[in-house]
Amino acid sequence: MFRIALKIESGLRYVGWLVLLICFAFFNSPVRAAATDVFAGQVGSLRISGGTAHIPVMKEVAKLIMEAHPDIRISVAGGGSGLGIKQVGEGLVDIGNSGRKPTDNEMQKYGLVLHRWALDGVAVIVHRDNRVQVLTRSRLQDIYSGRLRNWRDLGGVDKEITVFTRDQGSGTRKVFWKKALRKEVTTNKALVVASNGAMKSGVAHNPYAIGYVSIGFLDKSLAAVALDGVMPSLETVQNGEYPVVRGLYSNTKGEVQGLTKSFIDFLFSPSGRKIISDKGLIPAAR
Amino acid sequence: MTRLFDLLLYAFTWLCGLILVGAFGTLVVFLLINGLLALDFELIFGSTAIGDALFLKRVVIDGLLPAIVGTCLLIIIALGTALPLGLGAGIYLAEYAGKISKSFFSLIFDLLAGVPSIVIGLFGFSLTLYLHKHFTSIMPCLLISGLALGLLVLPYLIRSTQTALEELPTTLRLTAAALGADQAATLRFVLLPQAVSGIFSGIILAIGRAAEDTAVIMLTGVVATAGIPRSLFSNYEALPFYIYYTASQFRNQQELQRGFGAALILLILCALLFTLAGLVRKKVSKRLMAK
Amino acid sequence: MKRSVRVGRPLVLAATAVGSLLTLAIFAFMMMLGRPLFSDHSLNLLLTQAWAPDRGLYGIFPFICGTLSLVGLSLLIAFPLSLGNAILIHLLAPRRLARFLHQTIKLMTGVPTVVYGFVGIFFLVPLIREWFFRGSGMCILSASLLLAMLISPTMILVFLESFAAIPTAHIRALEALGGTRRQKLVHVILPGAKTGIITGLLLALGRALGDTMIALMVAGNATAAPESVLDSVRTLTAHIALVMAADFDSMEFKTIFACGIILYLWTALLTLSLRYIHYNSTKLSHDQTF
Repeated sequence: MFRIALKIESGLRYVGWLVLLICFAFFNSPVRAAATDVFAGQVGSLRISGGTAHIPVMKEVAKLIMEAHPDIRISVAGGGSGLGIKQVGEGLVDIGNSGRKPTDNEMQKYGLVLHRWALDGVAVIVHRDNRVQVLTRSRLQDIYSGRLRNWRDLGGVDKEITVFTRDQGSGTRKVFWKKALRKEVTTNKALVVASNGAMKSGVAHNPYAIGYVSIGFLDKSLAAVALDGVMPSLETVQNGEYPVVRGLYSNTKGEVQGLTKSFIDFLFSPSGRKIISDKGLIPAAR
Repeated sequence: MTRLFDLLLYAFTWLCGLILVGAFGTLVVFLLINGLLALDFELIFGSTAIGDALFLKRVVIDGLLPAIVGTCLLIIIALGTALPLGLGAGIYLAEYAGKISKSFFSLIFDLLAGVPSIVIGLFGFSLTLYLHKHFTSIMPCLLISGLALGLLVLPYLIRSTQTALEELPTTLRLTAAALGADQAATLRFVLLPQAVSGIFSGIILAIGRAAEDTAVIMLTGVVATAGIPRSLFSNYEALPFYIYYTASQFRNQQELQRGFGAALILLILCALLFTLAGLVRKKVSKRLMAK
Repeated sequence: MKRSVRVGRPLVLAATAVGSLLTLAIFAFMMMLGRPLFSDHSLNLLLTQAWAPDRGLYGIFPFICGTLSLVGLSLLIAFPLSLGNAILIHLLAPRRLARFLHQTIKLMTGVPTVVYGFVGIFFLVPLIREWFFRGSGMCILSASLLLAMLISPTMILVFLESFAAIPTAHIRALEALGGTRRQKLVHVILPGAKTGIITGLLLALGRALGDTMIALMVAGNATAAPESVLDSVRTLTAHIALVMAADFDSMEFKTIFACGIILYLWTALLTLSLRYIHYNSTKLSHDQTF
């Protein structure tokens, strides 16, 4: 008898916990702003991959939508612009991001529709303790081609320069190569990383490194380099003073519909534009 | 001369021991210092309420829950497919195969055991691409990753089953035969029950291997953000990939902390699994010795 | 009863067949997808050229060099380390300490390689960068040290097994003759465990060749062939992981199948040599017994 009573008591304790848990859960569900209301009632999954400069915005938007509408699943992967264009073209993802405009060939072959939702610049970065924070483009060419190998020659410490670059499929690399390096070939001693994020943390943790990222990735953990006397920033990119600029694209195969359409539309909505500028990019009109 | 040699030998071996244990100790301490503080409910559930997360009412974005669930699902799929194959092949090799076919098939499975995991991932990926051309709905996803991981752990299962059966004392077979049991009955009612713990230790090792492998899943559908997967055909997150991704892509100290937390969790999980497998093995060999 | 015999055998045979077919399918698939690479002209270029897609060069020679130098250095570090540890545990250390060491090493076999990579980036790389004048810390040396840690436990366990398998009669005989520990080691244990030592070495070699994460995270992935241990390199495995992200029709993408085939063939060669060694050693011991 006593044992049964004990059992009931411990059972009650569990129920108590459960009630507490449910209350907790209930009070924690915030009422979401109406921004994502267009997604109400939609079900399904959306696959996004490609450009890595896009990821912070994509993740934030996905988070906002998924939190308000648990029936929607949005997966965000990187891989680089080349992969994004290819995957959306082959139908492996719903949205393929690219940090460069797809070539005419790519657009025709796959019937891509482009959505350019932000203006971005590619900034040259060094470690925040590096004394060298101003470079001309021809100096940059010297560094990236491997002709100039020591920071001493640029007025910095007597240490070998660690050059970071991106893999071949990167849109950031392509833009940087064309507009900042003026098509100078990069040394094959350069360290290769797979994304803007990896470039940023790689340079931020190596006092002797140089690299390049989307301006959306600039923050106090590293130093941006003034190129030909112009500091990369939202203003200089917007007014065209900074030379290395590009658009950020989300590409779809054919005209968009359903969940994909809602997602793309959201990027151009006021709340979408706010997220884009919060992430350090310049929202573009449709 | 002998004295000098002995002295050098002593110095060298002790130094080796010190280096290895020291290196391992450094690794563990480094992870503990940086990761221990991160180990709490927030690490796993992020800013989502625990109840909501567990009942799938809301999505966990900045916590490890989706990655942990993803890894568990991978283990289930991998073991679910590899176990029947592994048991079958192990039994065949130990009980039915003739001399030639035994050495042929075990050579093949040795080859499989040697294949680098990234090559298995590449196989999974190219198979998916190939299938995608014919059935557009097939894409890199949880199922594909699970199957590829199954292929990765298959040799472990085969070998442990085979060894467990072959290690059994011959007297057991003779007794069963003397009692009139045929080969199948002996296998079903005598040998397999006896070999169970040996096979079990192989299964635990396979779980550990499936939980820690990164290269296979990297090529077959794991992503950085996906939430808890809703179907076998969706993208997913996983612990080892989370660690790899955070190592290069963390944006702030908080994310780095979570990476350390994840590394610590995976280390503890794998250490537990391997210790458990070792204990089971030990029990088996003790019992066999006793016989 | 009869039924289970009829069902049982075909079933397990089928399982074996499926497993084997999958093993062969891995190779077949890579050969099929890498086929465009195998006209004799381009195969030659592939294996000898530099990697410079900007200039239309798609050679994987630097990555073969990268893999071999990384694996070579890690074995150079790990082999003496493992042998020393195995001797310490088997022969020299007090019993309780030997047990502790043995347990620790068993535990080490369970450390995920991605965890080695993670700790490598945040602990080892900055150290190496500051210790040496040149280089970024993401180099052959850092990656080899971590790889050595990864493969040593396996090697030590195989060594210990083969030490333990030496017939006690031989050791007793030596002890009866008043042999020293040194004699025991040099004249009985090491020669007796020769096969085991080679086995351990080959197994470790296979594990080092096949590892992706340590090289990918710590070795820096530069596309040049290395000239010093402080240079950054890309291994075949890391190349597959990185170029996976390239578009599927490009020449770059096709090279990863060449990497896959090379890795498959290398590990297959290792497996075959292990077989050969074991075949020989068992034959030998049979000859001695009879």
